[in-house]
Amino acid sequence: MRTSILIAAVAVMITAACGGGETPKGDEKITLTIAGFGDFGFKPLYEEYKQTHKNIEIQERISEYAAHHNNLISHLATGSGAADIEAVEIGYLSSFTATPNRFHNLLDLGAKDLESTYLPWKWQQALSTDKKTLIGLGTDVGGMAMCYRTDLFAKAGLPTNRHEVSKLWPTWEQYVATGKRYKTALPDSYFMEASGNMYRAIVEQAPTGVYDDADKLVVETNPIVKQAWDLTVDAISAGLSNRLTAWTPEWTAAFGQGTFATIVCPAWMTSYIENNAKDAAGKWDVAAVPGGAGSMGGSHLALPKQGKHAKEAFELIKWLTAPEQQKKVFKSTGNFPSTPSLYTDPDLTGFSKAFFNNAPIGKIFSESAKAVKPQHQGPKQGDVFNAIGAGLGRIEQGKQKPDEAWAQVLADAKKLA
Amino acid sequence: MRTWLYKVDTRVSPYLYIAPFFVLFGVFGLFPLGYTAYVSLFDWSLLRDEHSYVGFQNYAELFKDPYFWNALGNTVSILILSTVPQLVLALVLAHLVNRPFIRGAAAWRLGLLLPNLTSVVAVVVIFSQLFGRDFGLINAGLEALGLGRIAWQEGTASSHVAISVMIIWRWTGYNALIFLAAMQAVPKELYESATLDGATSGQQLRSITIPAIRPTIIFVVIVSTIYGLQIFAEPQLFGGGGPNGITGGSDRQFQTLTLYLYEHGFNKGFDFGYASATAWVMFGVIVLFAIGNFVLSKRIRGVK
Amino acid sequence: MNRRLTYLTLLGSLFFAVFPFYFSFVVASHDNSALAQVKLLPGPNFLENVRRVFATVPFDLALANSALVASVNTCSVVLFSTLAGFAFAKLRFRGRTPLLLSVIATMMVPTQLGIIPLFILITRFEWHDTLAAVIVPALVNAFGVFFMTQYLSEALPTELLEAGRMDGCANHRLFWHVVLPAARPAMAVLGMLTFLGTWNDYLWPLVVLASPENQTVQVGLSQLRAGYVQDYSLALTGTVLATLPLIVVFGALSKQLIGGIMQGAVKG
Repeated sequence: MRTSILIAAVAVMITAACGGGETPKGDEKITLTIAGFGDFGFKPLYEEYKQTHKNIEIQERISEYAAHHNNLISHLATGSGAADIEAVEIGYLSSFTATPNRFHNLLDLGAKDLESTYLPWKWQQALSTDKKTLIGLGTDVGGMAMCYRTDLFAKAGLPTNRHEVSKLWPTWEQYVATGKRYKTALPDSYFMEASGNMYRAIVEQAPTGVYDDADKLVVETNPIVKQAWDLTVDAISAGLSNRLTAWTPEWTAAFGQGTFATIVCPAWMTSYIENNAKDAAGKWDVAAVPGGAGSMGGSHLALPKQGKHAKEAFELIKWLTAPEQQKKVFKSTGNFPSTPSLYTDPDLTGFSKAFFNNAPIGKIFSESAKAVKPQHQGPKQGDVFNAIGAGLGRIEQGKQKPDEAWAQVLADAKKLA
Repeated sequence: MRTWLYKVDTRVSPYLYIAPFFVLFGVFGLFPLGYTAYVSLFDWSLLRDEHSYVGFQNYAELFKDPYFWNALGNTVSILILSTVPQLVLALVLAHLVNRPFIRGAAAWRLGLLLPNLTSVVAVVVIFSQLFGRDFGLINAGLEALGLGRIAWQEGTASSHVAISVMIIWRWTGYNALIFLAAMQAVPKELYESATLDGATSGQQLRSITIPAIRPTIIFVVIVSTIYGLQIFAEPQLFGGGGPNGITGGSDRQFQTLTLYLYEHGFNKGFDFGYASATAWVMFGVIVLFAIGNFVLSKRIRGVK
Repeated sequence: MNRRLTYLTLLGSLFFAVFPFYFSFVVASHDNSALAQVKLLPGPNFLENVRRVFATVPFDLALANSALVASVNTCSVVLFSTLAGFAFAKLRFRGRTPLLLSVIATMMVPTQLGIIPLFILITRFEWHDTLAAVIVPALVNAFGVFFMTQYLSEALPTELLEAGRMDGCANHRLFWHVVLPAARPAMAVLGMLTFLGTWNDYLWPLVVLASPENQTVQVGLSQLRAGYVQDYSLALTGTVLATLPLIVVFGALSKQLIGGIMQGAVKG
């Protein structure tokens, strides 16, 4: 079987909804605009969609990540100028779900029946706090793994085979313990790129993170928040972190130079490493992430209320995020699908990259994404993690003792409440 | 009839000449000013429909926030570190290009403008290579000299220096070009007779050029101050563009006032009211600095 | 300072000015992995990167839009700034000082904040997604007015104006025959700076220009920096391509723009 039953079912549904059911209102053309911040891989799909929807014209606007979201916020705030369909990255999504009034409720537009198509946590991320409004349908997810350098692991006397490596760290405590072994063997090298991603991964694996289900900030009261902090601080004081700042050219260079041995690795990070460290081909490999589950990044497609063609726009995003289309996107861009029916598809499970010693990354990411438990994300989710990340940064850079840094994190978090 | 027209001309025409600016400013400048002043008195999130009036509470909070004072301190520090060398260099470069024996003046001028033609993205990529902690050229040089590496971004002083270098690189030629335009109006005979009297190039710069182009110097000083206090892209991108860039490092060691404003207005809950209050306080700070600089530069005189 | 030393200093400065530019080209001619090591020589990938830029961005259209916006704004800023500068620097009228101060004050409002109210206005005027939204608010700016005021106050001898007035010249004739010739060096510089500033403006055009056919160069280029993964070589290829027309135009015009001005300057 090339496709699962579910895909077939959805495909039939789509044909029913779009092919036959739609009645074009005369010759009137409707232009749908869609604004995004990167390559969602939709361009060839538009043409395909227009074949079956002769009255639809699609116009795509693309800008960079921060500019796109700032633009969206300006347009939402002023009530005009937004596209019919706007991509929203997870970093911004929770501030919109906290105040969902500027978006169409997709549950009213027919999204109710789609819930089982998507990963439960991906679905839940786009729900408002009262669960009554759904503002977006999920596109990609950043299923998570741990990328590591086999050459450095060999030098440190650690196993290099990915199965054995995965067995080194079923938990984060064991990951840190492995790091300490590594550091003893290779004192001049670092075990991880920076500490922030490890911290975030631990907290997001828990059933409750920095917010409870009622949008109340629980940084101070949820024990996992502090436990994860203490473990991360332990890793920092053992000298495991290379204290690099993500996205700086310095960080990019470090991949190729091999100054650190492991990095928390969402699906899209593998393309990044591959593009930026060509000389290191074959030296990187991919193991399971400690804790077994995780996702970083990923987006949704949302419909601002100011858009005039909600019905048509909804049909389009429903189609774009359906498993069939997500598979095409995955094949052309590597964006990892959010529809679990694909996780048993040979195209995904068989996906590997020579750069990473042919590690079966499709399988690794699928398992990791499937294992993620839904966790409620509060309105200032990203800002809270930024404040904590900065606190860890201050410890890394020797500017504060852990206690002082934690006290400042709590004070910063209080201001965000 | 003719004299009457003449009178009307002298009375009215000045207003006509400045009218285009003020008409456009009245429409596109005044409204944003009034709007932000109004918004600054509210708890005004960009994503909510109701905004509650809070009076001057945003301002009170702002003045109580140590991060605001930190940002103010960083901004002033970067301003001084970048503006002073920048203006001195610009003046000297303009003077050199303006020397009578220089050939290919047009090409030199284009050269002056080059750094400003390059986009900020390019600037940041390049300077990150220079100021990189592990692989940067400057640290490689320091290490070769036995001085050890500097984590440029992590330190307060070192990050201010690195950011200032970017600013200086980008804007020195720009200012030099403005100085150069002003120097065209200084009569060449003054230099010729000074040269005959045996005055050196440096003496000519101090005793002829600087006094002659004083209004332009005042202009450049004030404009550099205004723009310097609003510095944004360089520190943001120096910090990697992400959250670390917006807070200006983990310890906010290089967060400037505009970054602080941006952090509140477009990041944390999109608190536009608070950001507007910040903008008005910034406005006050800039006015103070501009007045201060104006008074200082009024005293520019040549060497007696 | 003697000639040799002067040339040496200038050459040194030129090196600093040109190097990052050259370096942009170097990065643009490699693929992104070149960032891992510092490379100083161009690589083989430039044409491939150019092809990718053109495949992503409707560049010719964007160039035409940018050229239009920048030209209109440059002409308008230079003309109106010179007019206003003349009035502020050399004419006496009531309210001159407070008006000039208010011009300067308008420069002090942080641009990030003006965007939202300005956008509300543009929507009112129904200019959203038209080039007018980019052009009209920038037809004059405080920088230009202040610059011209300062320049003319030193470069335009009052005696020259007096002489003109003696001959019965009205202000507008003085402007054409006395002020404009004297202002040429500053006008050229202001024109170049305005053109550059408009060409490189990014934040505001991105907010108001939506459709692909209305994009300016910088808005188009921002597509190259989109996505999780920063492809610096592609971004810098775009930058190089966006800057080349500027260099060509300025290079071609520099003789006329600046070279001829040296004779045009008024002697006091």
